[in-house]
Amino acid sequence: MKEIIRAAVAVIVVSALLLYINSQLGKTSGSSGNDTITVYNWGEYLDPELLDQFTEETGIRVVYETFDSNEAMMTKVEQGGTSYDVAMPSEYMIEKMKEEDLLIPLDHSKIPNLDNIDPYFLDLPFDPGNEYSVPYFWGTVGIAFNPDLLEEDFDFTSWEDLWSPELRQQVILVDSAREVMGMGLNSLGYSLNSTDESELNAASAKLDELTPNVKAIIGDEIVEMMRRSEAAIALTWSGQALDMMYVNESIDFAVPEEGSNLWFDNMIIPKTADNVDGAHQFINFMLDAEVAAQNADWVGYSTPNAAGLELMDPEVTGDERFYPDEEIRGRLEVYRNLGPEMTGEYNERFLRFKMGMN
Amino acid sequence: MGKQSNVQKLFLALVFIILYAPIFFLIFYSFNSNGTMSSFESFTWEHYAAVFEDTRLIMIVFNTVIVALLSALVSTAVGVLGALAIVYLKNRKLRSTLLSLNNVLIVSPDVIIGASFLILFTAVGVRLGFASVLISHIAFSIPIVVLMVLPKLLEMSDSLIDAARDLGASGRDVLTRVIIPYIKPGIFAGFFLALTYSLDDFAVTFFVTGNGFSTLSVEIYSMARAGITLTINALSGLIFVVTVGLVLVYYALNRRNRTPFTGVKK
Repeated sequence: MKEIIRAAVAVIVVSALLLYINSQLGKTSGSSGNDTITVYNWGEYLDPELLDQFTEETGIRVVYETFDSNEAMMTKVEQGGTSYDVAMPSEYMIEKMKEEDLLIPLDHSKIPNLDNIDPYFLDLPFDPGNEYSVPYFWGTVGIAFNPDLLEEDFDFTSWEDLWSPELRQQVILVDSAREVMGMGLNSLGYSLNSTDESELNAASAKLDELTPNVKAIIGDEIVEMMRRSEAAIALTWSGQALDMMYVNESIDFAVPEEGSNLWFDNMIIPKTADNVDGAHQFINFMLDAEVAAQNADWVGYSTPNAAGLELMDPEVTGDERFYPDEEIRGRLEVYRNLGPEMTGEYNERFLRFKMGMN
Repeated sequence: MGKQSNVQKLFLALVFIILYAPIFFLIFYSFNSNGTMSSFESFTWEHYAAVFEDTRLIMIVFNTVIVALLSALVSTAVGVLGALAIVYLKNRKLRSTLLSLNNVLIVSPDVIIGASFLILFTAVGVRLGFASVLISHIAFSIPIVVLMVLPKLLEMSDSLIDAARDLGASGRDVLTRVIIPYIKPGIFAGFFLALTYSLDDFAVTFFVTGNGFSTLSVEIYSMARAGITLTINALSGLIFVVTVGLVLVYYALNRRNRTPFTGVKK
């Protein structure tokens, strides 16, 4: 009995000691005071130095948490029990959250730095007048390819190139219904938000023709496969393509001319926010030209911040693959929330395409 | 069974290699100066330095340990009492029902337990964070402790208790001087099993973390989604070394305590 009591006491002492160390660590990493905000973001999607800088400037301590999918983020917000003050979901999720009444409208008078944002990225159909959201990063869907592994010369200025008979078993697709269906629709010149039965049928048929060229349909492993030159061509997001290029310099990226998807991650204030004022301060801080430039540098994605762009390395911002000119941008489309029924339809068609692979 | 044949030895070696190779592969690349897992460039400590520089990560490691220790402690206490209650129930039917209910909790998927805790906590209004994680870890560890302690209790002969009673022991004495010393190995086994369950739990924790509180498994999961950085390798390496250390300490203690056991402590 004595031994058990002794062991229990030891456990309690160790826990108390660790708790004490943790509270000391918490104090040194943040500033004093109870003024905190909780930021809920994708993993590896914000330069941690900026959080310290924000705390220094405003005295508000930042609790930083990460999520791995829009759906997981929304579930946590919906369930309550947490007090996220700022979150960075993608555009279609904002439409959905708006419908579910999970967002707090932004007070534009508290976000003067909104003027730094390129007007092209403001007032978009998923959030007219930017009532609830401010763009954080943006990008496109396109084709990452490794010319060293291809026998013929392809520049992938057209989706049609993917269907070339020379590319048997070479193409990797990202495992996502909207991207793959969107590619099918775009290659035929239709909108990637199409809800027209005959257009969707045509896209499905077109995708089935691609089957002999498809090597795999996978998720985040794409990056690693492309980096190791295990695959030559991948349908992917611009940010992932950049991740690949960072390691494997032979890789190139192209956004086909027929059009493609333009995606956004945006800063919003969920209904669960405790510190709405602090959240506004944080959003305004992130929109500051210098901060946005530093963050874009660290993350590597394309920033919508026009003032920030001017401070960045022109070699990066002049790269048309990641900062396409107006003409290409004009052909890009933002995903709309298609409603549960059409989303189901897209998923169903994608599933049938995948099953046809075997 | 006589001596092990060469085939047996070979098989054993093969199994251990398969089990340990991924871990060593991971640790090997944690020393890679090239930031990826694809090719080994040269030796570096920088990823280990990165782990120690990241205060948030270290706090998460400590959080994980604190939750594991406290939840194992509380669940052991509750679990031992529960096992005692189940064993000394007079009503056989009730006893087997309780035991089945206990086992159902062990086999039910973590995802379901996690989701139901999330719903419960939000319904009751518990803020997600340290408390919610601790409570749920205690809850899913209790059935495990009960299961570890029960066999020891069942194995104990009733005559030990009768003898103690004959010699004038009070109910309290019987518990603290006869029963608990006898089932002590079961209690420690339950504690350590609860500890490991809590340390590596992902599914339940994933649902009930929030408000800046996170444990290692959940954090590594989010980090991995954004592309594996070798910091994770370095951290895993450190944890592996610490775990091996703990196992060695545990065995050293066990060896020292291996005195013949009489069942009754003076």
